[in-house]
Amino acid sequence: MFEIGRVCMKIAGRDAGKKCLVIDVVDEHFVMIDGQTRRRKCNIKHLEPINQAVQINKNAPAPEVARVLNEIGILVEEKKQKVKSEKKAKTARPKRARKKKELPVKEKVKEKTKIIKSETKTKKLDKNKPEEKVEEKA
Amino acid sequence: MPRMSRRSRSLRRIKKKLPGGSTKLVYAKRQPGTTKCSICHIELKGIPRMRPFEARNMAKTKKRPERAYGGFLCANCLREKLKQEARQS
Ligand SMILES: [Zn+2]
Repeated sequence: MFEIGRVCMKIAGRDAGKKCLVIDVVDEHFVMIDGQTRRRKCNIKHLEPINQAVQINKNAPAPEVARVLNEIGILVEEKKQKVKSEKKAKTARPKRARKKKELPVKEKVKEKTKIIKSETKTKKLDKNKPEEKVEEKA
Repeated sequence: MPRMSRRSRSLRRIKKKLPGGSTKLVYAKRQPGTTKCSICHIELKGIPRMRPFEARNMAKTKKRPERAYGGFLCANCLREKLKQEARQS
């Protein structure tokens, strides 16, 4: 029942409800599948065969599987490949440059707070002085 | 005597230890019931019992299994449902 080219629906797991194609038969319990699901080994108990079958080579590449399924009317999105990892490495570098910019901003804030503290001290001293004078007068 | 609205037994009473060593009575709303499969009414796995305000700060992946009909149907009922869909098509 699960020969190469059979269209199936995945019944279990996070790909449940998605349609796929049998690419290879591993043994009596397991097959290789691809299509709307991820390309992976799968237990036969997790598959339900559909009335359709397609002619396809053993271990056909993903773009060919997608083309064949699209002809039947099962839409398959294109899977993105290894280009992503190069982009991540490029975005990781500018983060270090941003940290250097943040440091001078913090120093400016500290200077401001120091000025404010010194001002408050002088104000307190000013307040104390008139009080002492009042005591002397009394 | 506590506040009159606190006397209702629909609120849960928790004895909470304070940092000073004394205990204090705290009133809290009761935990909601478990979610159940809408077909066979069995308790669903992987769904925490919590109030909506707790659920708000939780990640979506922690609140239900990441599967078609996750959080509404159990795995067995989903399997039967998808089998019927596959046989009709
Ligand atoms: Zn069920």
